[in-house]
Amino acid sequence: MSVWKDIWTVIYREFMIIREHPIYLFGSVGVMLACALFYFTFFGAGLPSDIPIGVVDLDNSSVSREFRRQLDATQLGKVIEFENYEEARLRMQKGQLAGICVIPEGMYEDLLSSRQPTLSFYVNGLYFVSGALSYKDILQMVNLTGGAVQREVLRARGMTDSQIMGLIRPVDIDLHQIGNVYTNYGYYLCNILLPGCLELVTIIMVIYSLGMELKYGTSKHLMKLGDNSIITVLTGKMAVYTALFSLIGLVLVIAMYHWMRFPLAGSIWNMFIGIILLVLASEAVGIFIIGCLPVPRLALSIGALYSVLGFSLSGFTLPIEAMPAWIQGLSEAFPLRHYYLFYVQENIFASGFAGWYREVIHLLIFFFVPIPVLLRLKGAFIKGNFPKD
Amino acid sequence: MKERKTFAGRWIQDFLGICNHELKQIFSDWGVMLIFFVAGLAYPLLYNVVYLNGILNDTPVAVVDEAACSQSREFIRQIDATREVEVAFKCINMDEAQRLMQQRKVKGIILFPRDFGDKLEALETAKLSVYADMSSFLYYKNALMATNFVMLDNIRSIQIERYEALGYTAQEASQLTRPILYEENNPYNRAFSYNIFLVTAILLIIIQQTMFYGMSLLAGTQREKNHSFASLPDRLSGHGVSRVVLGRGFAYWLVYMAVGLYIAFIVPAIFGLPQRGDFKDILILLLFFVTDCVLFSQTWSVLISRRETVFVLFLAISPICLFLTGTSWPTISFSGFWKVFSWIFPSTFGVQAFLNMNTAGGDLSAASSQILALSIQTLVYYFLAYATLYAENWAINHEREIREVREKIDEKRGLDRKKNAALISGEETE
Repeated sequence: MSVWKDIWTVIYREFMIIREHPIYLFGSVGVMLACALFYFTFFGAGLPSDIPIGVVDLDNSSVSREFRRQLDATQLGKVIEFENYEEARLRMQKGQLAGICVIPEGMYEDLLSSRQPTLSFYVNGLYFVSGALSYKDILQMVNLTGGAVQREVLRARGMTDSQIMGLIRPVDIDLHQIGNVYTNYGYYLCNILLPGCLELVTIIMVIYSLGMELKYGTSKHLMKLGDNSIITVLTGKMAVYTALFSLIGLVLVIAMYHWMRFPLAGSIWNMFIGIILLVLASEAVGIFIIGCLPVPRLALSIGALYSVLGFSLSGFTLPIEAMPAWIQGLSEAFPLRHYYLFYVQENIFASGFAGWYREVIHLLIFFFVPIPVLLRLKGAFIKGNFPKD
Repeated sequence: MKERKTFAGRWIQDFLGICNHELKQIFSDWGVMLIFFVAGLAYPLLYNVVYLNGILNDTPVAVVDEAACSQSREFIRQIDATREVEVAFKCINMDEAQRLMQQRKVKGIILFPRDFGDKLEALETAKLSVYADMSSFLYYKNALMATNFVMLDNIRSIQIERYEALGYTAQEASQLTRPILYEENNPYNRAFSYNIFLVTAILLIIIQQTMFYGMSLLAGTQREKNHSFASLPDRLSGHGVSRVVLGRGFAYWLVYMAVGLYIAFIVPAIFGLPQRGDFKDILILLLFFVTDCVLFSQTWSVLISRRETVFVLFLAISPICLFLTGTSWPTISFSGFWKVFSWIFPSTFGVQAFLNMNTAGGDLSAASSQILALSIQTLVYYFLAYATLYAENWAINHEREIREVREKIDEKRGLDRKKNAALISGEETE
């Protein structure tokens, strides 16, 4: 009976702390709002357009002009003309061109007399998305131009269009992009980056909130309120943050899959489960870090180093299997990694419980992580036996 | 008897004194040391290890060969032989392949429909289907690239057969199928490796962010202990601000030129990242970049009034800085607002300049616009750092007035700090 009362006292006290220090709301709601604003608007329509591609037209014939015009007309590319290759190369080195196409001198003549002219193109792989897309765009245009030349020759022979299609394009690919039909970078990245921010904010905020009790020596009184039970105290404090971060998580999921209409193959209710588990696991990690190292500033530095690494180790950009084996093992220690695997099952394949129950178990295992350090934390809270400076 | 010093002499003495004091602070604070030296030195190594291979090879795919003709079998063999893709399973039907994909044993499915062979026989367009798992774009890229290469290769041999069937000679057919040859080059990053563009960008962001976090940590500590550097030169009464800004800055500058040399030259050498730039050019960039970062950090650390708050407020900015450099999502596609926003950070220009020179092998002219931008930024941040110091000095001298305003606000919000203190820390005040 009195345990519940103690928990209520701790909760009420936590509300008062949050009310008195605006940093708690700035650091949680404020930071998440800022991140959401950034990532939701940053990727615009989701696919870049009008990427500058340099064309050095040494031929200047009707065919090369058509090639330039067509390349410029693609949604992806925007042609900038150059007199010579050197000039274009310097611009590409400055990062101002995603690619360069050099149309050889006498290409038209060579085409007419079947001498197979060679077109050279260069892409800048240091600016990744624009480089890769310009590569795709230029290659496609070269193949289309080749096809157009064939079509002209075959038409002159009096062949029908369907016969010509069979000759120009004997095999074709029918592409199905599962989970992201339009190759939308915004959908792709926000789906994990924003939960990643939530993980980061949760870990840091939990460490901060527990750390401040130590720093200002208020932990002793707090323990008294909780009848010297670390479980009661943590339950009270974490109840507040669980409510706060779960609410942020739910709003985030609604924002992504309802307001912003990100594709979602599975059910939004299951995504709620995923995000709340992510919040809970992150809280456990936060308690573990401050419990291991009850010095607020060091714990916060460690928490910062840990949570920033979480983005890379979730494996949503460069997949985990391309990383060294021991890094693959390390990735298991990050809640975001398991959230990502959960998301793949629910959001992309809609496989439901059978698909993601393992990730739920993984995330639940994080709950046990703080147990070994609870006594240490209790000691620090009551006796203040940790280095102060 | 006291010797009368010239202005310059006193300036230099103060400058060195402040710098010395700040260096002592840095090296006696474990939190700062952890950020500067453990993070600053180990993080570049760690990121390199994470992205060591940088490319994804042999993405497992499942093949459903409903056509079961000689052409489809040849196709499958060739796809398996590509660097990008490995045919891990041959499935009887789509259901089986889809199950494998859901279990994440394969990251793509290639389906040869029943009529694939017949269409080829009938000289029509035969279609094969590629299903790609979009959970990472690299899976999609690999599955698509491998099938595309093999398809283009096959198209040619099929076309030659068909042309020959129409009565063209072998040479004519070969010329007709490939009227234009092409030669592709990706000179700076041949295989679109992640480590070459991403890790190189992360390196400079580590310099900027660790410096900002470390400096804010220290500034917050000093403000907490009520001996902020802004109150140090009392006898100067607001006139010696420049030697405080520069003296403090110089301490960080010294530390970070060392860290910067390590990050910009030694780390890439350890991991074999491209280092095509001239040593002298990169050194010049580093001088500009580190100077800019020092003043940037001094300016923004004014927002940090408590030791620990920098992580609470600004940790999430690090991945945002990475996106603002334009190495992944191109700068050309930024909206006007985010473009201007990106000018706040030295990393935006520093990373681009570093990529253009160190990785693309350009000389200083390849980074001239970025270096100009860094210089302007440095100048602006110098004056802002100056202004923030004045502002803080003013705030320290008007502490009582500020407290009164705060109390008024508390009253309006109905916040009773004394009552709260009793609840929070158990202190019964008066």
